[in-house]
Amino acid sequence: MPDSLPFVANSTEGGRWVRVGTSTATSEPAAVEEAMEQIQAHGAGGAKLVLLFASPAYDLPQLARLVSERIGAVPLLGCSTSGELGGQRSMSKGLTLWAMGGEGVTVATGMGQGGAMSLRQAATDAAQCLDRLERRAHTVLVLLADGLCGDQMEVVRGAYDVAGVDVPLVGGCAGDDQAMQFTQQIFGTTLLRDAVVAAAITSDAPLGIGVSHCWEPLGQPMLVTGSSGTRVVSLNDRPALDVYLDAFDAPADVRTEPEAFSAFAATRPLGIRRRDRIEIRYVSSADFELRSLITIAEVPQGGLAFLMQGDSRSVLDATADACSMAIHGLQGEQPVGMLLFDCVARRTVLSHANIDNEIDHITAVIGDIPAGGFYTYGEIARTKGAGGFHNQTLVALAIA
Amino acid sequence: MNQVPWSLHLLAEVLSAFSVEDPEALRTMINRVAEAVDAEVVAIVGVHGVGPCIGVSPQDHAPLLACIDQRPESITVRAGQLQICWAPLDDGETLLVGRLAETFDLEERALVRAMARSIELSQQIMKAVSSERMAREVAVHQAIHDPMTGLPNRTQVLEHLSRRLAEENGELGQTAVLFIDIDRFKQINDVHGHAVGDQFLIEVSSVLRKVVRTGDLVGRLSGDEFVVIVAAGEPADALALAARIIERIGHPLIANAANILHSASVGISFATPEDTAETLIENADMAMYRAMELGRGCYAAYDESMRQLVQKRATTEVELRRALKAGEIQCHFQPIVCIADGRIRGVEALARWAHPIQGVLSPGEFIPVAEETGLILEIDAVVLRQVCMAVAGWNQFSQDLPLSLSVNVSARTFVGADLVAQVSSILQDSGLGLESLYLEITETMLVEDIEATTEAVDRLKDLGVKLAIDDFGTGYSSLLYLKRFPVGIHKIDRSFTVGLGADRENEVIVDAVIGIARSLGIEVIAEGVETEHQAAVLAGLGCSYAQGYLYGRPQDIEATQTLLAGQGFFLSSADPRPLQEKSRG
Repeated sequence: MPDSLPFVANSTEGGRWVRVGTSTATSEPAAVEEAMEQIQAHGAGGAKLVLLFASPAYDLPQLARLVSERIGAVPLLGCSTSGELGGQRSMSKGLTLWAMGGEGVTVATGMGQGGAMSLRQAATDAAQCLDRLERRAHTVLVLLADGLCGDQMEVVRGAYDVAGVDVPLVGGCAGDDQAMQFTQQIFGTTLLRDAVVAAAITSDAPLGIGVSHCWEPLGQPMLVTGSSGTRVVSLNDRPALDVYLDAFDAPADVRTEPEAFSAFAATRPLGIRRRDRIEIRYVSSADFELRSLITIAEVPQGGLAFLMQGDSRSVLDATADACSMAIHGLQGEQPVGMLLFDCVARRTVLSHANIDNEIDHITAVIGDIPAGGFYTYGEIARTKGAGGFHNQTLVALAIA
Repeated sequence: MNQVPWSLHLLAEVLSAFSVEDPEALRTMINRVAEAVDAEVVAIVGVHGVGPCIGVSPQDHAPLLACIDQRPESITVRAGQLQICWAPLDDGETLLVGRLAETFDLEERALVRAMARSIELSQQIMKAVSSERMAREVAVHQAIHDPMTGLPNRTQVLEHLSRRLAEENGELGQTAVLFIDIDRFKQINDVHGHAVGDQFLIEVSSVLRKVVRTGDLVGRLSGDEFVVIVAAGEPADALALAARIIERIGHPLIANAANILHSASVGISFATPEDTAETLIENADMAMYRAMELGRGCYAAYDESMRQLVQKRATTEVELRRALKAGEIQCHFQPIVCIADGRIRGVEALARWAHPIQGVLSPGEFIPVAEETGLILEIDAVVLRQVCMAVAGWNQFSQDLPLSLSVNVSARTFVGADLVAQVSSILQDSGLGLESLYLEITETMLVEDIEATTEAVDRLKDLGVKLAIDDFGTGYSSLLYLKRFPVGIHKIDRSFTVGLGADRENEVIVDAVIGIARSLGIEVIAEGVETEHQAAVLAGLGCSYAQGYLYGRPQDIEATQTLLAGQGFFLSSADPRPLQEKSRG
């Protein structure tokens, strides 16, 4: 682990800090320069971790190299995105740099790589960075995973195998500007696929986690009578796709066109029954031949599933909920920054016209403290129980 | 959500916990239990310790184990107080489910117990599946491995090699095949028995396993044929490995307390983009035969000329079969004379192939192929019958002593069970006197497979047929065998005859051979006599008979008969001709 080397000359005034820089400049050097300037403007002495969230429209290896050159030995993690958050704006085809440092906080990073069949092991490998960390009073493991590689529940399970009950998990799945082809994870200057990268953060001050989706069930729950991994075959013994299309009264093109279906399904997830809540499962596509639904994380056979619905109001409510919950988790300590993992489907619900409303809701809760993150293909938040993979949800990590 | 009936909730959670695709994924089931009741810790705890567990690292297992007897409702761990729900499992194990803060209500306890039952069922399925899987794996292993040595068998070797060649994707110089054959393995079986032979092969397989690198493959194709498939960066690496294999196998191997000293011949082939697994092994096999020709304990790398040679041999085999049917295998005779008076006392019969296109071919051009293909048995039988008929016919009209007849027989014919019956039948059919026939075998044949040779000799002894030992002095015959076997003639090899008069050492050897023969009551014939001087030296050493160009080259029946007639061998009124074969019905 590198020491807490400053990557700028300015020293800070003690305590912890978070800085966020953003850019939508199209050239890599210009984008990095612009974002770094914003971070350095307020001083970034004693930096411990830099996260890079960037559109795959950029040359990501070049971005990673440029950022690394600027931050020296400070650990760099990141991933490709489907939109970025930061600097009180929502972007597309841009980049966000999220940096934290200061006194009383330590970071260790790790990575694991494996295909769909070894995702759990990849997450376990990445989470091993916890073992290299001398823990302070409060610890969290931040995970960035490949959302297009296998059952993302396995990422939570693999990380939980190391983190256990003591360490909460937060994170998100990388995006690819909704091309749904492949995503990339950044570990230093190395670009990875089918991988999980992790940062274990331990702090003297509390770390608050908020998670909320605010989707509502449409009708009665259904028994998942047939499923296999991320494929839902039947609901109440009827082909899952037919149940889904009929219940939502889908228009004709949605019933035959893959692209139309994906756009339609982005705002109509499935919900799976948990003890005291409903966990959201994003429906990524349909198999028109086998009449089944494809999700991004497993929907267990035998479980109870709901068809879920929402609108811009519920999305905005969830935004405020998640941020409030994260701030509440700081147990009265003042927040110095926030890390956001926001599902790309929520952005679709809000549409371009209302996207700023989400930023307003965030600002309304956290004020002007630095906040940044990205639009994800799945969110991770384990604070209680052993599960914690979500879709169409906002996960917020507040730093004090 | 609250409208969902509890019974449906319970059923759904149990079903979902039980819907793990891979029954071995017990850990995933444990996760499902935790997710169903929002628990942080789930573990299977037994008297032997903590089994699958999530939520608590192995360093923190002690509190879980400590409370297994009391089964308290809460345990304190680092993260806080865990409320515990216990559910019994098979074999004295217990499912421990722990949740921070909130206690488990009655319904949740019922749910955990139901899920525990699911886990039990899964474990039972797991055991059944595991045994089935193991049985299947054993069956698969047996299908692709040699049961004696445990090495991959031909099927597996070919599969492995095909895969490697596909992976190489046409790149040169990556894969080499070493074909290993144990020299004279049959002798180990014959001398020490098959149990020792098997043990020896197991030892060889162990040597080969040790000599190769990780990633290389050792297989057994059949009998004493092994193969090693290696990634050879350079051809020299494969040659060095071949040398190492020969050296290691050359070390004495102890099998069933028998100390066996043996050698191996190794053929090597290198993959080219055109090669298939089969051709690559064939090439290595051909190279191995070349190595055997070079002498024991040698290696040779395949080159294209070997395949051409094999093709030529295959053509020769087809031609030879045709020739046998067409009667193109004929006999020539070389006279054996008494040195003292120059008269012909006997003949050595030699096979020739009267090829319709290539003319008369000498044995060297077709006997090796005949030996390999087994056609030698037929050739030996044809020649033996032809020459016995010829000499018997001549002897019928002789006014001199009957001619002796030496006939070369191959090792396969000699040790064959049919030889005695065959010789009896021919002698009976031809009327050739028993005392006239000598079966000529080489000294090497005597020592190579002594057990089989002894059995054959014993059978011939009963019949009364005598042996002529060809090339005497070049091998390592034991005098004991010479005494024991019905040897009537020693033939001094031409390599000793050539130097007579010039090389004192040769004279000493020839003198010794003659002395041994005389003491054993055996006649001596010197081969390769080409000059009067050599004949004079031999006579001086006490050798009575000779053959060689000085006295006549091998000639066909008619020419030999003319030669005999010129010496006044036949009665003046006689019209000698070879006897016609009597019909045997």
